[in-house]
Amino acid sequence: MKFAHMADCHIGSWRDPKLKDISTEAFIRAVDKCTHEKVDFILIAGDLFNTSLPRIDNLKAVVSKFRELKENNIPVYIIPGSHDYSPSGRTMLDVLEEAGLFVNVVKGEVVNEKLRLKFTVDVKTGAKITGILGKRGGLEKGYYESLETGHLEKEKGYKIFMFHSGIDELKPKDMANIISQPISLLPKGFDYYAGGHVHIVEDRQIEGYGLIAYPGPLFPNSFSELEKLERGGFYIVEDGKAKWEPIQVYNTHKIVLDCTNKSAEQVLEELNNSVKGREFINTIILIRLYGTLASGKPTDIDFRELFSVLQDKGAYFVMKNTNALNTKEFEEIKVDMKSVEDVEERLIREHLGQIKAGIEDETHAVKELMNILLQERPEGMTKPDYEKKIKEEASRILEIDIS
Amino acid sequence: MIKGQVISGEFGKILVRQKENANLELGELLVADAGGSKILMQVFDLLYGSQISQQNLELIAGYSLEDDTDFEFMDPKLRNYMLANVKSIAVIKNGKAAVSKQMPAFFSPIMEVTKEDLSFLTKPKNPLFIGNLRSGSKEMDVPIFLEGKEVMSHHILVAGTTGRGKSVLISNILWSAAKEDYCGILVLDPHDEYYGRNNFRLKDHPNREKIAYYTPSNAPPGARSLKINLELLRPQHFEGVVDFSDAQRQALHLYYKEYGEKWIEAIILEKKLSIENAFRQESIVVVKRRLLYLLDLDFSNNALSCNGVFDLKAGESTVADIARELENGKIVIVDTSNFSGAVELLIGSLITTEVFNKYRHYKMNGKLDGKPVISVVLEEAPRVLGKEVLEAGHNIFSTIAREGRKFKVGLVAITQLPSLIPRQILANMNTKIILGIEMKPERQAIIESASQDLSDDDRNIASLDKGEALVTSNFAKFALPVKIPLFDEFARKDLKPDAAVRKGFGGVKLG
Repeated sequence: MKFAHMADCHIGSWRDPKLKDISTEAFIRAVDKCTHEKVDFILIAGDLFNTSLPRIDNLKAVVSKFRELKENNIPVYIIPGSHDYSPSGRTMLDVLEEAGLFVNVVKGEVVNEKLRLKFTVDVKTGAKITGILGKRGGLEKGYYESLETGHLEKEKGYKIFMFHSGIDELKPKDMANIISQPISLLPKGFDYYAGGHVHIVEDRQIEGYGLIAYPGPLFPNSFSELEKLERGGFYIVEDGKAKWEPIQVYNTHKIVLDCTNKSAEQVLEELNNSVKGREFINTIILIRLYGTLASGKPTDIDFRELFSVLQDKGAYFVMKNTNALNTKEFEEIKVDMKSVEDVEERLIREHLGQIKAGIEDETHAVKELMNILLQERPEGMTKPDYEKKIKEEASRILEIDIS
Repeated sequence: MIKGQVISGEFGKILVRQKENANLELGELLVADAGGSKILMQVFDLLYGSQISQQNLELIAGYSLEDDTDFEFMDPKLRNYMLANVKSIAVIKNGKAAVSKQMPAFFSPIMEVTKEDLSFLTKPKNPLFIGNLRSGSKEMDVPIFLEGKEVMSHHILVAGTTGRGKSVLISNILWSAAKEDYCGILVLDPHDEYYGRNNFRLKDHPNREKIAYYTPSNAPPGARSLKINLELLRPQHFEGVVDFSDAQRQALHLYYKEYGEKWIEAIILEKKLSIENAFRQESIVVVKRRLLYLLDLDFSNNALSCNGVFDLKAGESTVADIARELENGKIVIVDTSNFSGAVELLIGSLITTEVFNKYRHYKMNGKLDGKPVISVVLEEAPRVLGKEVLEAGHNIFSTIAREGRKFKVGLVAITQLPSLIPRQILANMNTKIILGIEMKPERQAIIESASQDLSDDDRNIASLDKGEALVTSNFAKFALPVKIPLFDEFARKDLKPDAAVRKGFGGVKLG
């Protein structure tokens, strides 16, 4: 048995005109590789698309590749991810499944209020596949907590579990703040756990479970991901061994410069020197500047000329990141924006005292309010009931009657 | 109900004649009217009183014992009686209590305390349930809550002999705290008894999302398997935990300085330091052997492998995750039942250092106010707070004991042997929950460092039965006698039948 495991293709994620087709291109190359490798089937563990309703131009190329796979008798099994799942049910995944281009394996029944998943059997290999979708804010955790695991664990044969969630025990240090769940919520005894959602390349044999793998995205989705991963890829699994196949759409070149006690002119000069005598054909250049400038502001660094030089040297695209670049003039307001929580905290603190509700602990109240507003409407709850619940919660937090 | 009458004494030692059949007990609470206020008093000693001389009493007893004569007294209730030494502990006026500075009038009737008398014992804003008020051995329907935020940050000492109810008390405290948002509690659980894998405990809490459980083996669904990445360890985490010699300790620090996060690996692989001959080779070999044993590592064919909780690959975010959970007001229970004491303390040291440093950072940046208090529950506290250990140097736990309250980080130190903890640290534990202690030196250590004057309470403490406690705190008006309810009885009251909510599974094709 030989199969491919992809995840987090995020087709349509980049918005810049030069990069908007890059994830589609990565997907095309990955599918070509699968066809060439003659895999028996392909797994996509969530976030094929960056939104539930992707742009038509992205869709066209993707549909064409799915048709090609179908013609080559390579079935595709997917689960929706936090980006392409829609609580309203309006998702392109349903349309493509209806057209017979792939199979969504998240299916089952509710028995005694527990979720009993059903297996999808791959006809060619007999592999039994099931899984749980990903939802925003890690809300799929509730599905795992209600999951009946006994029958899944007893099932005989080669079993694959697809999931789109972070796993506490496998999270790297720099992702400590992402929402995740303990591995103990996954059903035990599967041969392969095809993961998605966390953009890391990791495969690990875990006692009591099996091989748990995250292939990372097919193409990195942000500046920092490009810096860290440089390229995307996916796994080809054969005889129980997973081999990561890189997808190199463009080369990457990183320039990291400490600007402490340098002027804008000096920074520019050092950047120019660092690229002298080099070619950057088909390369995405990543420039990260950090430190505190001797004088002036980060905006005083005129990148236009440098960008033009790099393009002349064949660079496909140049990106810069000056988040960690400070200026002495404004040092007192520099903010350590490591995570969304940090940014939220800062914004809350900046706007404290503007509510006239006389709340004792305003920071706590705002955070609690944000959490309430994050809650999705539970299935089975009517809209008026949901609105009433939110209003009641908000009334309690703000200590005013808004019901 | 009248229990007796004041007949003599002095402030702090008032003599009361007991009314016939009033059955005064040690520790019993009484009240006496004092103009517009009431004086709350407590019995601390009981003795006999008689109008008949000792010689005659002995003679009467002789008649009864030797001649089987049924000797009758005239007015026996008036002639022989019980006396009680009581001390006034608070003055109650207009529903508020203050420290007592007066005595009840001569011949004042002494009454049994009622729930109404104690209406000043209200539930604070951030309640921490300790138990129900106890008058002697009688449990009253008056729950005792302390101001949890203050109490937690100013450390709690729980002292008592085995079997006196320490675990039940801690279970109740954790259950009570999980209902509130003001604190996060780290529990190093050497008996794996608080989460309740197989019995009713914290996992059954109605706010179960506030309970996080880490265990090294066979994690039940929803719990996390405990893995800690080797690279998270630092030399200071071993301080007070492992008894390294000065040379060995210096070696740890030098290796860390030179090899950063890979310092343990470097020691195991016997990599060279840039400072030549800094240590004798034998020292490094000893350090290597001790680390291999302590961290349960294997070194063969020039490759390092991990068998236990410490791992080369997994567990990179474990400590940060725990710190974040605590910061979010969760109760984090770490099952350390499979570890040696040193490994348990090493893990505790690692997590506690992270939390403490984080909160210090928050304080510097003015962010501490909105954060919950974090408390660390530590069994057999003298292992890290004992005099002998501290003579060898400070560790993170003693640092927290000394200055944690400034940063909203506190300890719940549990021990049978409080006398092993230095007086200075005992004095910093501003709340002490005293359960039955038989050994006098242990009682003495507590009495000498209590927040209230307990100099007359030695007998009272010695007579504490299972589940009975005396709580002395800077945040209480007087030393509170309490009865700790059984966990099941206390916790099951909070359980509500599951509302019939239809669970939705959107995105799953049902059928």
